[in-house]
Amino acid sequence: MSVFTGDPTLAPYLALIVLGFLPSEIWRVIAVFFARGIDEESEIFLFVRSVATVLLVGVVVKIVLIPSHELAIVPVWARVAGIAAAAVAFFAARRSVFAAILAGEAVIVWAAWHWGG
Amino acid sequence: MQPKPLPIRDRRNAKNAPGATEGALSENRDDPDDTLDEGAFARWFCAGARAAFSGPAFYVALSLMGVGGLARAAGFPIGAAMLSTLLVWAGPGQLLFFGAVAAKTAPPAIALAVSLSSVRLLPMCLSVLPMLRGRKTRLATLLAASHCIAVTVWAESLRRLPDLARPTRLPFFFGLATVCIVLTTLSTALGFWLTGSLPAPLGAGLMMLSPIYFLATTARSARSGADWLSMLFGAVLAPLTQSWIGGGLDLPALALIGGGGAWLVGYFARRSR
Repeated sequence: MSVFTGDPTLAPYLALIVLGFLPSEIWRVIAVFFARGIDEESEIFLFVRSVATVLLVGVVVKIVLIPSHELAIVPVWARVAGIAAAAVAFFAARRSVFAAILAGEAVIVWAAWHWGG
Repeated sequence: MQPKPLPIRDRRNAKNAPGATEGALSENRDDPDDTLDEGAFARWFCAGARAAFSGPAFYVALSLMGVGGLARAAGFPIGAAMLSTLLVWAGPGQLLFFGAVAAKTAPPAIALAVSLSSVRLLPMCLSVLPMLRGRKTRLATLLAASHCIAVTVWAESLRRLPDLARPTRLPFFFGLATVCIVLTTLSTALGFWLTGSLPAPLGAGLMMLSPIYFLATTARSARSGADWLSMLFGAVLAPLTQSWIGGGLDLPALALIGGGGAWLVGYFARRSR
């Protein structure tokens, strides 16, 4: 079954809207209707904040452990070392996002250059 | 030591108290009915745009360049690649969509995978929308704002909005989001063209840019022990839920166990104080 059935010029856009946009946007729309009446200092707000943070870190862990093909050329220890270097630089430079990116990227690109297939 | 700010409800009451100063924004920080004139709206929109140009817009634009390449590999035209950034505006969802189409996945399974990867948008919107919403904020404005929320805009909002006076938050937010979305839509097109011409090590570096950026901005916006605990639980539990549960259901399970656990620890810590 292909997503490109029907009019060949419109089909890719239709597939994007029905299979990409709507399944994603539904959560934002639900949030708008839930958001009414939520006190930002309430326990539900704090719970939701914890859930969102855990999910974000979880997604990063997934990207590092099961990488797509550009990243798969870097050995797993080097991917983990890149994150570790970023964390060390982040705290060493007083919570600097820029330092974290610089250190993490340096380790990843260097490892890809030496051990990349 | 900074003076401890009053809880929000108290500050609202303080504003109405006799002798409360009127006019100055700083005195009305939490009045949800306060509206800005057009000049002030434009100034705060530009302040948000500047905040985006100071880093986040470039990081998210760079991190989504790969989506353009994936779209091309899946047989989509460049317009659809750009539209995916404008409409889906969620990196993992876009990667899943184009990756799944390229792998000839059945359409219902594609929709389910994209939707599961975007469940995290719900708590993100729930944590940002209350900061933007006033009593008179229109539904259409809220829907537009919710559409702009993805991880970059979310993390920047959590970090910057609490320090802004409430009426200035909406223009600041839309300035920030507009620059992020427009720049990233252009970079998706650039990635469509660049596919295959970058050396592999730089391609690998490009792929890691967004994970490192997202981690660092989350750590930077951490305000309490529960926030740090959430990050720790996410890092420790994600490999476990992935191997034990998997199948696209591991993220919801991780959210419930890790997020719920971190919140519970924080809850009992607050109770015992």
